[in-house]
Amino acid sequence: MTGIDAPFIADMFRLATVRLEGKRQALCQLDGEIGDGDHGISMANGFAAIDRMLRKRGPAAPPELMRLAAQAFLGEVGATVGPLYASAFLEAATCLEKNAPLTLDQLGLMLSACAEGIRKRGQAQPGDKTMLDVWLPASQAAQRAARAGLPASDIARQTCDAARNACAETAALMSARGRAARLQERSIGHLDPGAVSSVEVICAICDTVLERAS
Amino acid sequence: MAGTRGRPLREAGTIRPPMRFGDDPLLWASWLYYQEGLTQSEIADAMGASRPTVNAYLADARARGIVNISISHEHMRSVTLARALEDQFGLENCLVVPSQGEGRSLIERVGHAAAGILPTLVHAGDTLAITWGRTMLALAQAARLDGLRDVTVVQATGGTTAKIPYSPESCATRLADNIGARCVPISAPAIVSSAQARDLLLGETVVAEQLQYLSRLDRVLFGVSSLRPKSTIHSSGFFDNALQQHDFYDQAVGSLAGQFIDAHGAPVAGPLSERFIGLSLEDLRKVPTRLLVAAGFDKVQPILAGLRGGYVTTLVIDSDTAEGILRTLDIRLGRYVSTTRTKDAPLTDGTTPAPGRTQIKKFLNDPRDVVNEAMEGACAAYPGHIRSIDGSARAIGASAPRKAGKVGIVIGGGAGHEPAFLGFVGQGLADAVAIGNVFSSPPPDRILTCTRFADQGQGVLYIYGNYTGDVMNFDMASELAAAEGIRVRTIRTTDDIASSGFEDRDARRGTAGNVFVFKVAGAASARMDSLDECERLARKANAACHTIGVALEPCSMPETRRPSFTLAEDDLEFGVGVHGEPGVQRQKLLTADRIVDQICDQLFAAMDLQSGHRVAVLVNSLGGTPMIELMVLNRRLQQRLAARGASTHMTLVGHYCTSLDMVGASITLMSLDEELASLLDAPCDGFSWTRS
Repeated sequence: MTGIDAPFIADMFRLATVRLEGKRQALCQLDGEIGDGDHGISMANGFAAIDRMLRKRGPAAPPELMRLAAQAFLGEVGATVGPLYASAFLEAATCLEKNAPLTLDQLGLMLSACAEGIRKRGQAQPGDKTMLDVWLPASQAAQRAARAGLPASDIARQTCDAARNACAETAALMSARGRAARLQERSIGHLDPGAVSSVEVICAICDTVLERAS
Repeated sequence: MAGTRGRPLREAGTIRPPMRFGDDPLLWASWLYYQEGLTQSEIADAMGASRPTVNAYLADARARGIVNISISHEHMRSVTLARALEDQFGLENCLVVPSQGEGRSLIERVGHAAAGILPTLVHAGDTLAITWGRTMLALAQAARLDGLRDVTVVQATGGTTAKIPYSPESCATRLADNIGARCVPISAPAIVSSAQARDLLLGETVVAEQLQYLSRLDRVLFGVSSLRPKSTIHSSGFFDNALQQHDFYDQAVGSLAGQFIDAHGAPVAGPLSERFIGLSLEDLRKVPTRLLVAAGFDKVQPILAGLRGGYVTTLVIDSDTAEGILRTLDIRLGRYVSTTRTKDAPLTDGTTPAPGRTQIKKFLNDPRDVVNEAMEGACAAYPGHIRSIDGSARAIGASAPRKAGKVGIVIGGGAGHEPAFLGFVGQGLADAVAIGNVFSSPPPDRILTCTRFADQGQGVLYIYGNYTGDVMNFDMASELAAAEGIRVRTIRTTDDIASSGFEDRDARRGTAGNVFVFKVAGAASARMDSLDECERLARKANAACHTIGVALEPCSMPETRRPSFTLAEDDLEFGVGVHGEPGVQRQKLLTADRIVDQICDQLFAAMDLQSGHRVAVLVNSLGGTPMIELMVLNRRLQQRLAARGASTHMTLVGHYCTSLDMVGASITLMSLDEELASLLDAPCDGFSWTRS
């Protein structure tokens, strides 16, 4: 079985790039309801920048690729998601280094590292209606499934489901961070755009696991 | 009129309507029925008509609109919401209390309302349990039942810390006292130290006997706690940090009777499960009548979980929270309003897009290039003022030579606010500006480029609006600068008073008031003030600035060319920022003077403007509003300032900090003392603000 190696990282970023490009308009529209309407642009452009960098760049170790991805994303978009995803990828790089080589069923370790990076940088609490409300439950689901001894394909499926369910739950939350926070209770009933795009990223990672595991 | 009922008015059959009713029997009959409170047969007697005739008169009066029955909007909304919730969750009963009300707190009002329905729920001989929390205490305090025999109130769980006034013990005893019931406590803690301790306690005869009552409940009254940091479950000492750090409860969204449930209401088991003493969720669900009382937006998710899990037969809730739940489920309330009323405005906030053309025309090439192309165009237009620092169009510095040893001023933020922020780079203003994508913070490396350019050994002051993204990127940049030995101080502007409460200035956003803060800091650094002094003055300037924005039409992003939100034809959005995000409150469109009045009322109160105070004024277009309308706004603004006795030291009117093509305006008032006034008066030379 292959692990989370350099080709895996290139594939997962490519898949996420394609999916986020497809969601560009939908994410902007969602963001327009409670934010400033640029989320689709930031995410699609940011991942496109990572993809471009990976294509140009020759082979490198997974942690190095993650660090470069952080730089490429942050350099392209700044914004709010820039520092958050950059921190996620940097934390993931550290995780990949410590646990090298990471196997597919250790997916949860990498996702937890991402979640931790996002939490540290953004200082959001669970329940603040942010991307953390997807990254945390998804990474926890992955860790739980791994502890239960499930094969990588099941871990990936459960993680993706957990991400989707957690995202749907953000509609019940009231924004406490970012521009949507000024809307207070008017944000209830809207999905958090950052949560929706997080599902795309997480499921792209999970689907990359599925391709390899099956 | 009290006391008229039953009084014979006149002899039957001999009378005409009193003069004030003319010859209109419908009006007279209606008056007697609705105003005097007579019965139909009394009216028949009084009018000398038959009872069926009176009945027909009254029906006609309704049909012809002589009598209109209206229910206040807020109460109507409550009824509609209650019906929708009953329908969605198969509730036996739902009572929705208007969220807005005088005097008592929301929790107290919801508790009172729940106490009000107890007579219909509780009967002689009943055994009922009550949990704990603020809402339960409010209910217990308000509860009154007279003459019910043999009612028993049981504490639903063991005890908690006595530090909270709303402990299980006090809720149960208070309720029992107020309804004349016997009280059964649970003589054990709700959470004990171990499973062994629990088994030991359950073996105690007294405790076992008390717990027996929980297995034969007729009614249970309970609240729900969120898992937010200040929620009841935390203040009760259940959920210590050691527990949170593990992922035992990561699925939980709330707690009922001290036990955790996930978003769908399924119990979440964890280390506390086997240390818990009280009514189990399984037993709770078997109780015939289960009254949940809850209020507040932070509880939308746990209430929804409780409803989904089937724990509730009767719900008492406030209207805003009820609406939040239904919005989460995407239930359109229109369906619950009778069809004859479809002309009424829908009760939801109606975020459906307006029909017709939705693409906005713009001068664009490839939309992705818009920021770079605009910045190149700006540099070409004002070569005497601005130039690229690193060859890119996104890191721009002042063209004019700067005095050696001057403190550097770096500003920045997303594009889309033109002429902000690059119009305020130049002598007596900022030294460099970092520009991000539309409405998006610039990344740290670009800010660092600007920092290196601006630094002349005496340090650099960052000034930017207080937005999550900008804060993170500028903070990262300042860490990088510090690593290179550049001293950096940060001012986050927070002039937008609509974005957060008065007491919470640090949570506010920076909008057009930025301009005055740049000016003050730039003037201070131009006269060679130290970094400390520049920082102090910029902070003082920011504290003096107060802004409110109003949008008449949303803006549209270059990439999407669609409105960022929708506003009905006769609506305006009050309290907008400068990013096309919706404002704080949607309201009906008013005349220009009334809009200014509303803004002034809030600004004057926030800054405590008194007679004799001096202010600087900025009437700023949000992009789509032309000068002619800004001048109309300024006219009224100056009248209001004069009426308050305040004097205007300086007025700026125009496009200063925009939000793309948003139609709307913001008004900024800055309180001035001699120090700030002289800095505003100092010469400056940016392409958007020149003063000699």
